[in-house]
Amino acid sequence: MNFDKSLQAQLGEIKEVGLLVGIPSYNNVRTIAHVVRAVMTGIAKYFSGLKAVIVNSDGGSTDGTQDEVRKVQIEDFKAVLISHPVNPIHKIITPYHGIPGKGSAFRTIFEIAKGLNAKACAVVDSDLRSITPEWIELLLRPIYEGGFDYVAPLYARHKFDGTITNSIVYPLTRALYGKRVRQPIGGDFGFSGELAKFYLTQDVWETDVARFGIDIWMTTLAIAEGFKVCQSYLGEKIHDAKDPGSDLGPMFTQVVSSVYGLMENYQSIWKEVRESQPISTFGFQYEVGLEPISINLERMIRNFRLGVKELMEIWRKVVQQETAHWLESIARVSDEAFSFPQDLWVRVIYDFAIAYHRGFLHREHLLKSMIPLYLGRVASFVKENMESSAGEVEKRIESLCQTFEHMKPYLIERWTEEMIHR
Amino acid sequence: MSEIWKATIVNSFNRFLEKVLTFLPNLLAMITIFIIGFLVAWIIKIILVRFLKAIQFDKVSEQWGLTRLLIGGGITNSPTHLLGRFFYWVIVLITLILGINALEVAATQSLIAQFFNFLPHLFTALGILVVGYLIGVFLGQATLIAAVNSQMESAKIISGCVRWFIIILSLTMALYHLGIAEKVIVAAFSIIFGGIVLALAIAFGWGGRDLAKEFLEGLSKKRKGVGEGPDKISHI
Repeated sequence: MNFDKSLQAQLGEIKEVGLLVGIPSYNNVRTIAHVVRAVMTGIAKYFSGLKAVIVNSDGGSTDGTQDEVRKVQIEDFKAVLISHPVNPIHKIITPYHGIPGKGSAFRTIFEIAKGLNAKACAVVDSDLRSITPEWIELLLRPIYEGGFDYVAPLYARHKFDGTITNSIVYPLTRALYGKRVRQPIGGDFGFSGELAKFYLTQDVWETDVARFGIDIWMTTLAIAEGFKVCQSYLGEKIHDAKDPGSDLGPMFTQVVSSVYGLMENYQSIWKEVRESQPISTFGFQYEVGLEPISINLERMIRNFRLGVKELMEIWRKVVQQETAHWLESIARVSDEAFSFPQDLWVRVIYDFAIAYHRGFLHREHLLKSMIPLYLGRVASFVKENMESSAGEVEKRIESLCQTFEHMKPYLIERWTEEMIHR
Repeated sequence: MSEIWKATIVNSFNRFLEKVLTFLPNLLAMITIFIIGFLVAWIIKIILVRFLKAIQFDKVSEQWGLTRLLIGGGITNSPTHLLGRFFYWVIVLITLILGINALEVAATQSLIAQFFNFLPHLFTALGILVVGYLIGVFLGQATLIAAVNSQMESAKIISGCVRWFIIILSLTMALYHLGIAEKVIVAAFSIIFGGIVLALAIAFGWGGRDLAKEFLEGLSKKRKGVGEGPDKISHI
């Protein structure tokens, strides 16, 4: 990647750093100052002797996000109970190039990490309201001192939050690659400079990885390529308010297409994995309160039923005959009795993975046609856990993960069947 | 009298025999051309398929996006087999024409000359039809999925309209290109398309007044943020 002249001059001036924290942004003027302040405090508090840089990789914000980052300073270090850092914390504010998206922003951060030969790096979202200086320590220390290459985040979330993670990405990644990374698409990560250099060698920057797919791509590569992976408990994750349902379609297709795409690249690895193992976990864990949130179950079930009615012709090209019958039968029951069993869900996920691999359907159509099925499963999960505590919900997710692992031979068998027929 | 009658019959029979004897080699030539042609078509198909498999044509097609285009159009055969089959039928067609030409019948020869002049137009029209069909099926499917995800109860009708509109449009273009009743085709298309739009407008306006009212009220409520709000769960 070619940096512009001012950035090159800045890199020449800084030369080398021990730590780098990247903050991708796009119109986050409301929250970014808090994030930058938390990062600066975290570096000053926990890594005061090290040379560090904060990189804001911006997607062309028009609300003054970049100016806000420039302005942020910690005037009174004593007020946050820390001494003035020995080394000044540098700031690089640069626009990223390529496809608009988080992945392209990360690419610029990786490039700068490589240019400055950073030893330990972290990336945090710019719309965070709950970030604290401790996050920086938890994401960077396992890399800087613990010999790890990748730190995934572990958050305390509402029991119904992160439904794509809980119903697809976590159980599937765990069953495939055998590592229990609880939040593989968390959004805030720590990684070594070596891993950043490795990411840059991959030719993925024109794909979905450049958008929402970057998180799962980073996690999967770290696991599958044998890097040392751990997770850090960061506490509660609160984002800036936005309509969570507004971009379900692109979010869903980009994440799932990245997971399925990676299955192709790493088939020789995941076929050999028989069971999952826990990974090292850092941080002090606690539970958060469960405020009731508004979920329109009826609408989700209606969407699922509409899918069964109108998309069954497409799904029949993807799923096995008995799976199609099963889907039809659960669509016939009343809302009160509605249930999408986890065996059926796992079968659907595996069948769609095989269809994605074989190219039965145009891939975007395939993934978008999955959305009513996903909503059906989410509705069933919410119904089952309406009265459950966070711990009980976690047990159910664990049970789903085990079903994914038990049914993995089904996936391998159908995948191998296909290889013979080719 | 009987001599004359006999001579007439013999002459007639001789003329017929002469014609048959002149025609027979042509007929044999035609049959030979057919046999060799079909054999050549079959052999070329096998060689071509093996060659395409050896150079991994299916993989290259996948990279070029050709496979996706075919799958999007509902064609699940591999590009290798499709190409093999296409060349087989092209050779069979050439064989049929050569065979008929070998008969040396004046009427068929002029017909064949006309056919060859017409051939480029026919191929172009076929191309328009095939591409139109593929695009129609692809966009129809995309519309169906998008409509279902937007929770539109009439998803299938909308997607059917999109698909058939594109297929009929491509058929019209193909017939227009072939020069078959150009004016009639354009007029028929305009009448049918205009008629469909008018019928839909009347049906929606008259028969579906309540539905239209409900739909517009729903839109307005959505804009004002009342009614069925978005779910507050974060999917990712």
